[in-house]
Amino acid sequence: MKRAFSMPPELYAKMLDELSNLFFTEKLGLDSDMNFYRNDFWLTDTAVIDMLLLRKGAWEINLLFAHHKTPLKFLSRRITSHSCPKRARIMAFYMRRLAAKDQRGTLSLDINDLNLTLN
Amino acid sequence: MNNLTTKQKILEASIRLFNWNDVANVRLQQIADETGISVGNLAYHFKNKEAIVSAVYENLFEEFSQILSTYLTSPKLTDFDVQMEQYHRFFSKYKFYLIDLFEIERSYPVIMERWRECIGKMLLQIRKRLDYYVNRGILQPEPAPGVYDTLTNSIWTTIVFWVPQQVLKDKPVDETVFKQTAWAHISPYFTPKGLSEFALEVQPFILS
Repeated sequence: MKRAFSMPPELYAKMLDELSNLFFTEKLGLDSDMNFYRNDFWLTDTAVIDMLLLRKGAWEINLLFAHHKTPLKFLSRRITSHSCPKRARIMAFYMRRLAAKDQRGTLSLDINDLNLTLN
Repeated sequence: MNNLTTKQKILEASIRLFNWNDVANVRLQQIADETGISVGNLAYHFKNKEAIVSAVYENLFEEFSQILSTYLTSPKLTDFDVQMEQYHRFFSKYKFYLIDLFEIERSYPVIMERWRECIGKMLLQIRKRLDYYVNRGILQPEPAPGVYDTLTNSIWTTIVFWVPQQVLKDKPVDETVFKQTAWAHISPYFTPKGLSEFALEVQPFILS
């Protein structure tokens, strides 16, 4: 008979406790919890970066909106896709210009605002 | 039944024979006869009786784990009722577990170790379930330290030994009576909220 997976009884008891707690801690979300997604006015003050991703054989155009003051507040949205990479590149360029607040692209991000730690 | 593989048929036949006699008294010839195959064919699938016993217990533990995994899938009292129903089905199917308890301990220590582990988990689940019911306000807080540990043992004893004692008394192994007996341990400790939930959701379910 093969050895079955087993865990110490104390650990099993703890696991059951956590399982019981789920019914008290897990509550239905409120409608207002999704406000961050609906209230997207902050997108007007963002730097827009276009991204091309090859997915399922098509070039997908994604626009990345990052707030110019707090760049960690960002959102990526899929716009459309093209089978031709050249057309996708042109489309992405115009999409980015259309979406950006300043069409010349002066609204940019500073890498130092990201406070990256390279450890 | 016809869709079962020969291996499964052998295991089903073995369980039937183990229930009628007990593990030690069943011979390979009997298993082959009960399955409707030759001993040679039986030896092709399982090299000896030990392999059959191991496979039967492997199935038994698998089914038991399935029952344990249904712990608290819903916050309602009916969750325990459904689990009790599964326990009843399990202990009715594997009646030989009690007859062979001491034989197993002597001859198959690995099986006994796993059996003890399962029993330990079952006891823990019952105890934690009571704590959960207290937190939900459908069971009174523990009247005195240790009362709910004793209650856990009573519920466990009923679930595990109710089927064999009915067999011993030559009484039917009725699921409704089984569940009523198990609930009878808990119901004196229900709060008014628990009583109303029990009357509304569990009692009609038991009777159906």
